[in-house]
Amino acid sequence: MEQELLNGVSSAEAGQVLELGTRMVVPAGTSLFRLGDPADRLFLVERGRIKLTLPMSVRGREEDVFVEERAPGQAVGWSALIPPYRFTLTATAALYDAQVIALPREALLKYFVANPAAGYKIALNLAVVVGHRLQLFQTMWLREMQRTVETHSA
Amino acid sequence: MEMLLMGLCMALFGTAVAAAAFGAATRSESRDSVEQPTLPLAKAVTPPRFFLDNTATPASTPSRQVPVEVLLQQIENHVRMEQAAAESFLALPTQAQLHSKTNSPFVN
Repeated sequence: MEQELLNGVSSAEAGQVLELGTRMVVPAGTSLFRLGDPADRLFLVERGRIKLTLPMSVRGREEDVFVEERAPGQAVGWSALIPPYRFTLTATAALYDAQVIALPREALLKYFVANPAAGYKIALNLAVVVGHRLQLFQTMWLREMQRTVETHSA
Repeated sequence: MEMLLMGLCMALFGTAVAAAAFGAATRSESRDSVEQPTLPLAKAVTPPRFFLDNTATPASTPSRQVPVEVLLQQIENHVRMEQAAAESFLALPTQAQLHSKTNSPFVN
């Protein structure tokens, strides 16, 4: 399976990166990580879907509200590579069991130092993932702001 | 003559007492008619529902409130629709795309 984080990396390098990780099965409804947990591993989704949620007060009760969903081939938990290395969302296997490859930050950074060309490509791929999330939520925020302005100026 | 005057005084005194008593009696009646005792408002009778803690439900809560699970599903659908709209904008950034409407019940 093609992983977005390994785009443009040779198959040999992709294999080396994947060997740094550990395969994990996340049973349906189980959390892969929770908001505020230390982020020391980045995850590549191989099977199933990972639901990302944030806590929100709904009728006086704290509920995990849907934010985004990650599918096979996508990365989850890039907070592991960005200080202060804390997860800013809760990730849960949605509906069915999911399978991910957990890549430890330390091993990944060591690999980047030893293989700067591959590390550069992976860092660029990560920038695409982070940048897309930023653009997406910036757009969603502006749409909500527009509605708020319309409501308050009506 | 003295007896006549005495009788007249007694009659006047009696009339005054009777008038005062009548006045007092009618005043209390009119006050009673203005200040009606306030009856407690009848509470809306809600049909008994199982598995529902009535004490936790505020009196002003509309009886047709959707369950939390349904509300959470609506929020999820809203977020998905907003993401799809945002993706469309990012694919083709125009002002019309930016503020395109969705079918979400939260914005309609």
